[in-house]
Amino acid sequence: MKTILKITLILILAFVPFRIFAQDDMSNTADEEPGLIRGSILDEESGEPIFGVSVFVQNTSGGASTDFDGKFDIELPAGTYDLRITYVSYRTLIIESVEVTPGEVTILSSIMLSKSVEEMDEVVVTASAINTSEVAMMSKKMKAANLMDGISAQQFDRVGDSDAADAIKRVTGVSIEDGKYVFVRGLGDRYTKTMLNSIDIPSLDPDKNSLQIDIFPTNLIDNMVITKSAVADMPADFTGGIVNIETKAFPEEPFFDVSASIGYNPDMHFSSEFLTYEGSNTDFLGFDNGKRDLPTGAENDRIPTPISGDSPDQVNDFLQGFDSTLGPYATTNPMDYSIGVSLGNQFRVATDKRLGYILSATYRNSYTHYNDYQFGEYQTQPNPTDYDLVYATRQSGTVSDRNVLAGGLAGIAYKTSRSKYNLTGMHLQNGESSATNFFIDNSENAPGQSGYTADSYNLVYGERSVTNFMLRGTHYFTSSNWEIDWRVSPTYSTMVDPDIRKTAYTLSVSGQAPRFVAGAGGNPSRIWRDMEEVNYAGRLDVSKEFQMLNNPSTLKFGANYVYKERDYEILTFDMQNFGSWPDFTGDPSEIFRDENIYPNGTIYYQSGNPDPNPNKYNSTVENIAAYVSNEFYPITNLKVYLGLRAENYVQRHTGRDALFAQGDVSGNNLDNEKVLDALDFFPSTNLTYNVSDNQNIRFSYSKTIARPSFKELSFAQILDPISDRIFNGGLFAIGEWDGNLTETRINNIDFRWERFSTRGQLMSVSLFYKSFDDPIEIVRVQAQATSSEFQPRNVGNGEVFGAEFEFRKALGFISPLLRDFSFNGNLTIVESEIDMTNQEYLARKSREKVGENINDTRQMAGQAPFMVNAGLQYTNPAIGLDAGFFYNLNGETLAIVGGGLFPDVYVSPFHNLRFNMNKSLGDEGQTSINLSVSNILNDTREEIYQGFRADDEIFSLFTPGRAVSLGIKYAF
Amino acid sequence: MNIKSILKSTLSLLLVASLFISCDDDSTSSTPMEPSVSAPSSQNALVGDAVELTFNVTVSGGFASATAAAENGSATISSQPSSGATSGSVVVSYSASSAGAGSVTITVTDSEGLSDNATAVLTISEEETTIRVVDNITGETTWETGKTYILGGRIAVIAGATLTIEGGAVVKGEAGTGANATALLVARDGTLNANGTLDAPIIFTSVADEITPEQVASGDFTSPNLDPDVNGLWGGVIVLGNAPISASNEGGDVNEVQIEGIPTSDSNGLYGGSDESDSSGSITYISIRHGGSNIGEGNEINGLTLGGVGNGTVIENIEIVANQDDGVEFFGGSVNATNVMVWNNGDDAVDTDQAWSGTIDNMLLVSPGDSPFELDGPEGSFTSSGHTITNATVYVAGNGAEEMIDVDDNTDVNMSNILFFGLNEGSIISSDYPDYAANTNGFSITNIEVVLPAGTAVADFFPEGLIPEVTAVGSVGEATVGADITAFAWTWARQSGALDDLGL
Repeated sequence: MKTILKITLILILAFVPFRIFAQDDMSNTADEEPGLIRGSILDEESGEPIFGVSVFVQNTSGGASTDFDGKFDIELPAGTYDLRITYVSYRTLIIESVEVTPGEVTILSSIMLSKSVEEMDEVVVTASAINTSEVAMMSKKMKAANLMDGISAQQFDRVGDSDAADAIKRVTGVSIEDGKYVFVRGLGDRYTKTMLNSIDIPSLDPDKNSLQIDIFPTNLIDNMVITKSAVADMPADFTGGIVNIETKAFPEEPFFDVSASIGYNPDMHFSSEFLTYEGSNTDFLGFDNGKRDLPTGAENDRIPTPISGDSPDQVNDFLQGFDSTLGPYATTNPMDYSIGVSLGNQFRVATDKRLGYILSATYRNSYTHYNDYQFGEYQTQPNPTDYDLVYATRQSGTVSDRNVLAGGLAGIAYKTSRSKYNLTGMHLQNGESSATNFFIDNSENAPGQSGYTADSYNLVYGERSVTNFMLRGTHYFTSSNWEIDWRVSPTYSTMVDPDIRKTAYTLSVSGQAPRFVAGAGGNPSRIWRDMEEVNYAGRLDVSKEFQMLNNPSTLKFGANYVYKERDYEILTFDMQNFGSWPDFTGDPSEIFRDENIYPNGTIYYQSGNPDPNPNKYNSTVENIAAYVSNEFYPITNLKVYLGLRAENYVQRHTGRDALFAQGDVSGNNLDNEKVLDALDFFPSTNLTYNVSDNQNIRFSYSKTIARPSFKELSFAQILDPISDRIFNGGLFAIGEWDGNLTETRINNIDFRWERFSTRGQLMSVSLFYKSFDDPIEIVRVQAQATSSEFQPRNVGNGEVFGAEFEFRKALGFISPLLRDFSFNGNLTIVESEIDMTNQEYLARKSREKVGENINDTRQMAGQAPFMVNAGLQYTNPAIGLDAGFFYNLNGETLAIVGGGLFPDVYVSPFHNLRFNMNKSLGDEGQTSINLSVSNILNDTREEIYQGFRADDEIFSLFTPGRAVSLGIKYAF
Repeated sequence: MNIKSILKSTLSLLLVASLFISCDDDSTSSTPMEPSVSAPSSQNALVGDAVELTFNVTVSGGFASATAAAENGSATISSQPSSGATSGSVVVSYSASSAGAGSVTITVTDSEGLSDNATAVLTISEEETTIRVVDNITGETTWETGKTYILGGRIAVIAGATLTIEGGAVVKGEAGTGANATALLVARDGTLNANGTLDAPIIFTSVADEITPEQVASGDFTSPNLDPDVNGLWGGVIVLGNAPISASNEGGDVNEVQIEGIPTSDSNGLYGGSDESDSSGSITYISIRHGGSNIGEGNEINGLTLGGVGNGTVIENIEIVANQDDGVEFFGGSVNATNVMVWNNGDDAVDTDQAWSGTIDNMLLVSPGDSPFELDGPEGSFTSSGHTITNATVYVAGNGAEEMIDVDDNTDVNMSNILFFGLNEGSIISSDYPDYAANTNGFSITNIEVVLPAGTAVADFFPEGLIPEVTAVGSVGEATVGADITAFAWTWARQSGALDDLGL
């Protein structure tokens, strides 16, 4: 962390002189400072930049020509000018009334040139018309070979979205989970992928595939693109969509923004019941300073105990290494707040060379507090006429959580007439400290349960960090139309959960003092989890534009290399007594006192970690990919994209099961052995028939893949200390499951009609079909009735058939008064079906109720049956106001596959209505204010058990409450 | 960088040290002294095995020669200092000829003709007496009288294998919890013949216990160093069979489930089947102590876990001491047990589930941490004729005033001739007793006697419906029901005097 601060400081210092220089650059003429016109010129048809376009300033000698990014800038004294833009075989465009103010940059983004039919054809527009259009992204979307959507800096600058999650919700067909994770077409996290600058970035959440995107401030983002149908130059491991965030390289205008926000949730903040505990004094920075470190010697498989042969003093010394805090205390929590600063600029360093940089730092502190969080374990009954579900364990209580996120991103870019280089560095630091207190009610009436009540306390700290660097080069061979782009990007990430403490007092039925009962609430325990991952990615993309069948076509080919390595380890320690427990009262602060610790008292810790440790693994992935694609017009108006991608994917695992770890050679042990090894070919075809200027009919077919994660392809057994649910690695053979977890291969077919119109309006109807070979689902382990165990397994083949309706409509057609209002939405309806495995079918059949008819197919886990997104927006750039309501609803989704004793778990629909308003103030909009209200309907997050003719029962439930946040951004 | 600096400092330290040493040598070389020989400390050796003994010698006059002589065996010098050396070591290879004591004496002579000698002493035994076991039992294996077997992990007697443990053998589990827990697990179709005797029981305990086979042979079955309330030091003994169980997932393609305490990743933990008369072997006169490691919340190892064990199996004369979880737990099956004692366990003393259909006859339960009887019935659609518990004596005190008998509406037990004493204030029978009593299968609890605390009445402890079956007696001695205590004469509880203290 220190080094990162240092690096940031050095970077800032390094840039300061440039900023001064940049200003000097513009103040070189005598009396009045000149201004700058900066713009980019695109082909209206393809949305691609045009190189070598001449831009003349009428009635002056000024002018410029565009570089290979289609960009130009012209320095002029203050005044009003007309620009004349000419290029061979394109219509000449005259832009009138371009204002140039001293020391400022006037931006003309996305100037579209259209092909000319006649000689000397001229079009005249005003500068203001250029700047209010959203044509760039729309054109890109319309002209793209594949199904894609996106949002560009141009759009979110205008409406003032503060972070990427805020901005992306304006894209149709996308929903945001938890305010940070992107879902496309209702397909779960397994089938969605997030990339930064076209490079895989690991998630901060070890259980998630995709990165949380709310950590990126919008003024660093050039554009975000969501790819819904595959193209050969993108990785094949997605099915719903890929979200790619491209950071800015050359900011259009200098910016130096400072922002701050506060968030208030009446149900969560300023609560005097907020639980916390003594953490380390750097928790506020998002990392632990070592206070939660493993005590010295605890990593050994033999630790000092009363029976280890160590002297009582040695045992005591060792035990003193453990933090004595085992329970939380209540305090009053503040509300959420965040601050951020970002700056960037570009300037010329020689006639045709320019330098750009961006720099940002964010810090965020948020608090969540749930007074009544619930978990439940429910079971079916054996009697075919007993429909009700009965509980094995119910937990309810308080969950308090403080989440700190600090992040920094710096980028520097250099452009010559033919090449562009870009170096970015990013660090994210996240620390989440939570404390809980649950009342546990275990029912003796449920199979395998002994029946008890307990009062449990958990202290959990999760520290995550991601450090990413990317070096990118683009080389443009203007004469031959070749373009070469290469990137190398290392990422280092750590996810550490140091010293998870779990303490449960078993309560007496007759009101006697609480105590620890191993067979009931269990003995206190502590867990250390440690994960480190390195990720090296490199890619090379080559493209050439050429004429084929008298039409422009694009040939692309390239290669991609990804190497990932993860080290993972869990260490557990159980508290034991040597004789009997001290007399307790039920206060966790009374336990680890000097007088209770051996040899003064009876308490000591026993190791749960054999050497080698079955809960320690190392996995690597090497993915080598190559692709080739061509985009061409066999007939006018029909664009054909054909691509083929090959990926050779090898995943290796070093790990062993508990049996081997204890010394039995008949146990399972893998020493860097291949657990996945496949060469796959992924064809992709996209046909776009341009029915008219603004209508397309599209067809696409592609093959994609979903691969099991490192954790899923392991022998790890991971206990979630809060819910007490156990995750088993997929390599264990349990019952009918053979332990051979493999990839899921998916065939995707899309058919779509779409119509675009002015001001970003669009309408589309799609039908899609996907077939899944060997989909992976999280399955309840049937053989284990005592504890709640889950395992990822390949289940029977699945199919998804869906229809999607999407529109964005300005409401000006109803009344001119509504001209600034627009309504957008999308509705996706999906029918999914999966073949049950024989085991699942028989398990369900064994608990078939009277009147129930069990089939051998069911809904696919993780696939929402329908998804609705809707937004009503008011946008008026003239007064700098953008406001809207946004609504999202996913249909009831099967989350955990049950069968037999265990009922299925579904995610209940969550009616997510949100209001967002951005208003810019001041002549030039230097200040902007953002106000948002989330969960206006005050809905509850709920996952439920469902049984035939049975009342729904709770798997998990919490109430996020309504939250209001107010942000202010000031641009210097 | 670090390694370099460490190397550097180590090197410089060595240089300085060598200077001092050489100075030392210089100062003593002027006055030659007689050689001095030091012998290694006493060692153990096996008959026939060669043992290397290292003698350190200082020969200020310069080493000349060494000779070795052996008692009860042969000794040859395998290496010695070079001629003229002033210090070094003489290594002797010794091979013993018979059990008992042995010794090796070496004599070192210097260049001046001065000499010194020293003797190393050895204890010779016929064969190894402490054996660490890490692999599953896959064939026919016998653990013998007079020996100690250390369980290095969760040792399974796999299907088709037979483990015979002779009376007087001691089995000790290494320490650990969770994945690190040690246990002896008899898988389905595996056989355990652990037949101790009244005079030579088989002790299952922790490595921390200093009890030896010799001590057991002498008739003393008590732990020399561990108190009888130290628990959770290792796992326990788990026996699994093919007899019917009423488990929650039976009726599908499997009528087997995973036993509590063994992760589902180990298929040796599956139990249940359709063979009521299945035999897992014979277990008599065993004492299981200090076990019950934690695997996960609510997932511990019982002292003796019997999952789907058939009535072809013999279980008699069992003592469970200080198990952290339940004493004995039956998961279905049909096995019968006779003369069972559970003392100071952390949770329930006897736990029955999944329609176990056997009988426990003659049982003594002393100070369980939770209910003495935690009794359940079928969990799936299979039902049996139920189980029977008869002739039991229960000393309740110490259980935190939990339920004395925990039954519910589907408990399939018949209980009779039960004596309770040492009641806590607040001791009760399960509040679900009326549900249990309302069963249509005729299950009942009959013929209870109780020694009431002064100033209390039967109704303070027993529910209304059960009162007609309860007789208050003045003392344990006056009771007409309960266990035949003489069957427990061999136990640690009896030898320690704990039973005498209770007036038993």
